[in-house]
Amino acid sequence: MGLSYADADISIRLTDTENLIKYERDCAGSKESRHLGRTFSAIHINPVEPVNLPEALTHFLEISFPPLLLSPGAEQDIYLKFPVEIGVFLESGNNRDLLDIFSLVPAKFSLYGSPSSGVITRWYKSDLSTEIPITDPLREGVMSLHVKNSGTETTTVSRAVFDSSSMCLFYGSRVAMTATMEILSPLIAHTTFSDTAPADCPNRAIDLYLARGFSITNRKGYFMEAGTI
Amino acid sequence: MNFLDLFNLTLPSATDIESTVTSDNDIFASVSPRDVLLFFVGIIAAYIIGLAISHHLRVRMSHRLKKDQLDILTGVIRVALILVAIGISLPGLLDLSVTIIIVAFVAVIAIIGLSSQKVISNMVAGLALLYESPFATGDFISTDGVSGTVVSVRLFSVRIRTTDGIYVHIPNDQIYSTTVSNNQANVAVRFVYSVGIRYQDDVKRAQEIIGKILEDYTFVLKNPAPAVFVSDITSDSIVLTIRVWFPSNWKLTRDDVSLSTAILPRIKDSLEAAGIEMPYAQRVVWFANQPRDTISGPAKKQDPHQAE
Repeated sequence: MGLSYADADISIRLTDTENLIKYERDCAGSKESRHLGRTFSAIHINPVEPVNLPEALTHFLEISFPPLLLSPGAEQDIYLKFPVEIGVFLESGNNRDLLDIFSLVPAKFSLYGSPSSGVITRWYKSDLSTEIPITDPLREGVMSLHVKNSGTETTTVSRAVFDSSSMCLFYGSRVAMTATMEILSPLIAHTTFSDTAPADCPNRAIDLYLARGFSITNRKGYFMEAGTI
Repeated sequence: MNFLDLFNLTLPSATDIESTVTSDNDIFASVSPRDVLLFFVGIIAAYIIGLAISHHLRVRMSHRLKKDQLDILTGVIRVALILVAIGISLPGLLDLSVTIIIVAFVAVIAIIGLSSQKVISNMVAGLALLYESPFATGDFISTDGVSGTVVSVRLFSVRIRTTDGIYVHIPNDQIYSTTVSNNQANVAVRFVYSVGIRYQDDVKRAQEIIGKILEDYTFVLKNPAPAVFVSDITSDSIVLTIRVWFPSNWKLTRDDVSLSTAILPRIKDSLEAAGIEMPYAQRVVWFANQPRDTISGPAKKQDPHQAE
């Protein structure tokens, strides 16, 4: 068995040793090396929920973007960028076990809400566009976000917080997610994900939560209760 | 007059006394193997029911209660069930009235209470800690001169592993009656550092350099934004105070020493690379009778006695 991928920033190599397989990964200087038993039948590499590196401190993703003003009842489709983390999974039988996660994008954490009742988020700053932006799929994905103001006040939106346990990631020519943000008031919004694949991203990424053996009970999204600015 | 008449007392006859004593000593006489079997079956049944309730609570309540709270709650329920089982089956086993059992139980409790007030107070404090839950297993706390990670919260004591790797066992009543700081009760925690620079250094440049380091540092929270400001002008230096927020569940947030070693060396290196140095403590000393032309710089200007 032998497999290798290499570009300017990432190299992954699986090589046969005597009775083991050696996995080696180099991602912009961050290296990982492990010996694997010959018990797996396939290896899968795909984008995963971007909340794992450098430590899994949170399962929330916060995207900050230029302010968008929406009057009551208004709806707007926008595109945001989000950081990409890449997961390596080993398949054996019906199991898909996580082997490695790496990323070319430096992480930054933030606090959404107050220290006593808020949540730690993986923070990312994005541009806002109304057309699908061109991205390097190894670094950034594109989120199609449908923003709807169901409240009774004109509201400014400049950040969105998502619960990664309900994320649905797709990949193809790019890495993609589709989400909805419903503004209920200037302080409260509800974010959810759609599990419908975009036309140019037909492949569903392996859910990290499922690979880790967790059952996903929350597909209801996240209520942002500390404002949208 | 007989003294018994004086006090108008009546006593049973010697035979009656003997028979009473005999019947009191005979409480085991009527115990059959079946009664003993029923007694132990009752205890075992209570134990099994306790286990089943514990399992049910763990399944149903694990997302609402922390592990320590569940442990204490299930422990209390199991002990209570066994006590109830003993209370129900013992009168039948020993052919005693419920009143006698209650009196004996109260007496035993009173004796235990008097002889082991500390134990009782620890247990009560343990229940209070369970109810208030100021910390949980895995939290990093500081109390009464001890700082460390909570290993377990039990009915009578809390066990802490200090950063030196030492286990510390603290009775619950002690921990309940003293101040406890929990670094991880909130999701974010703020740390404050001070850095001194020389008078001749550019303060704004130093603030920019430190701000850039904090901006690039993954675990310094974007919001609330870090702050770098001049907090003091001492005789030796201009003091910059740095306020930063970190996720409280980050491992280095557990003690300030680890965080300092992660942040402060970077700040020092970057400031020095930009030519901004940490000043040594220094004093300008001049003598009143020193010839004027040998005094140079600011000291010469500040000398009021030399002015003519």
